[in-house]
Amino acid sequence: MQASVGDRVIIHGHRSGEPDRDAEVLEVRGASGAPPYVVRWGDSGHESLFFPGSDASVQHFEHTTT
Amino acid sequence: MRTIDELRRSGVSIGPDRSIRDGATVMEQSGVGSLAIIDGHELVGIVTDRDLVRRGLATGLPTDTTIDRVMSSPVIAIDADTDLDVAFGLFRTHMVRRLAVMRDGQFIGMITVDDLIVGLAADLRDLTWPIKGEVLFPQHDRPVSSG
Repeated sequence: MQASVGDRVIIHGHRSGEPDRDAEVLEVRGASGAPPYVVRWGDSGHESLFFPGSDASVQHFEHTTT
Repeated sequence: MRTIDELRRSGVSIGPDRSIRDGATVMEQSGVGSLAIIDGHELVGIVTDRDLVRRGLATGLPTDTTIDRVMSSPVIAIDADTDLDVAFGLFRTHMVRRLAVMRDGQFIGMITVDDLIVGLAADLRDLTWPIKGEVLFPQHDRPVSSG
């Protein structure tokens, strides 16, 4: 998995009806976009270190520079 | 089969100086049942939702208590490339339901008893098919000829 600051990581639910969880990537600790990532969870604003497993995916966003 | 092959769930960690309240919120937001407690680059403990209840809420600890007060340490860990049989042995020996999975000395995720049971259940279901078929549609052997 590769991610950049500003991307969104999603943990897909493991059980039927279980909602997906999402977080914003704030910092990439691995080399070349590799995990782990410092992320901010949903609307809570709480941050943690995230180690994506096979239940996770990344939504990439265009990162424009001005 | 290596342990990493059965690592299905993402891992989440926070530092030991975070509060119990923060830990509970991160668990809820991320949908995990346990957190790895990492100090710098070192895995120093693990906190489960059960720990928060039994060691935190039930003992009346204030919610701003640091999470290292309720964590389990040291953590029972296994290397990602170790054979899965070793994980089974660790679960049995240490009577735990989660193992920290490590690679190059760094935490990369958590493997749980539940994950392994789900995998085993799928394998057993595959093995029962030929037996079920034999029960539902028995193949009658041709009778042995007498002459």
